[in-house]
Amino acid sequence: MPRGHPTSHDPEEEGRGAGSSARPDLRKRALSEAQLIRKACQGDAQAVRALYDRYAPRVYAVVRRIAGDDDLAQDYAQEAWIRAIRALPTFRGDARFSTWLHRIAVNAALQAARKAETRTRRQAPMPADVPVGPGRGDALLQKRLEWALGELPEGMRRVLILHDVESYTHEEIGDVLGVTSGTSKSQLFKARAKMREMLSGLDNEGEQEEAEAWTI
Amino acid sequence: MDHLSTEGLARLLDQGASQEEYRHLADCRACRAEMDAIRDQTEALGRLPDLRPPPGDWSVLQARLVSEGLVRAGGQVTRAFGPAPGWMRAAAALVLFLGGAVAGGVAARGVGLPFSGDRVAREGSFLVPASDAGTVDDAFQWVQLTERQYMDALVRYRQLRSDQGGAMATSDAESRYAALEYMVRAGQAALREAPTDPFLNGLVASTMAEREAWLKLISSNGNDNWF
Repeated sequence: MPRGHPTSHDPEEEGRGAGSSARPDLRKRALSEAQLIRKACQGDAQAVRALYDRYAPRVYAVVRRIAGDDDLAQDYAQEAWIRAIRALPTFRGDARFSTWLHRIAVNAALQAARKAETRTRRQAPMPADVPVGPGRGDALLQKRLEWALGELPEGMRRVLILHDVESYTHEEIGDVLGVTSGTSKSQLFKARAKMREMLSGLDNEGEQEEAEAWTI
Repeated sequence: MDHLSTEGLARLLDQGASQEEYRHLADCRACRAEMDAIRDQTEALGRLPDLRPPPGDWSVLQARLVSEGLVRAGGQVTRAFGPAPGWMRAAAALVLFLGGAVAGGVAARGVGLPFSGDRVAREGSFLVPASDAGTVDDAFQWVQLTERQYMDALVRYRQLRSDQGGAMATSDAESRYAALEYMVRAGQAALREAPTDPFLNGLVASTMAEREAWLKLISSNGNDNWF
């Protein structure tokens, strides 16, 4: 599996966040997640902040990729956090908190995107967002992937992000996007193919430039 | 048989190939290479890193959470009220910034906190005094937190100036100096635990340089056009 699915248990993933990228925050970790959630339910700002520090990069990443735009992403992420904190008393712990929060973030971003009545075609600039922690791949490839993701049509991009980046199943994608799993699959394969075409185009451009440089 | 389509190859990553496709892949090096490239691309997508939210994101969110009555402010009982008017949010941002700075200045002088600094501290802006940092991780975290709070407050402060267009008091420069002094002290406390840490050394050096620059400005110029 390319990425830790939100439903799988991975303590390393659990601890990933803005505050944990370099050194562990021992003081905050002293409180268990359940304690933090309980305090956050009571309106404790420090507990909410601790949850934010832990999960903000994950939330921001998924909404940024769905939004395809920095300004929209910040709005979507804020909306997701507001919804999550408002709904916190309903969190019963059946699923992991990260899974629950992730789903809220995805839904908030998708709903907000649908609400946007007229959207001008984004120029899909290379994102300026700062990745959290050391990249596990090369930075250029990551930039190219983010760029190509931004160039995909909305439907394809959402399916590709949810499946290949966020490891949702087609059934889960069908639930959140309101499509059949068959549609999700066909959109995924189209999206992968389109990504491949765009990325191989970049490779060819690079090779061409290199060849031209040699002929000068 | 013609080459397999890119979409068809993308499908084969998740689904089994037909007999015909299987035979073609066995014979066609180009299609195998293309399929490998799609597989690499898919795996790379799965390794995309999380993204840090933009600076100041927490401050904006915190203001919204408070205005919607979802978190307590300063230990007060939560109560639901409508969105705060612009001037109130701006004032809150100013309190956060100046209060933090005052807390810093006061801490540097080793006396008790005045109202504004105390309020900021109780609201969680200053979670851990640097002197309480028992380990290098605590100290490091504290430095990062202080730096982040300073930057968050600065962003809010700039927003305030932009939105409100109000003139700033001369004491603001002194407050900023005090906040920088506080950051320097936090950094030095961390450095005592990890004297060779390059990040801490760089942070403390740059903070000290900025602090000295503000000291010179305060000494030489009473004006407060310091942004």
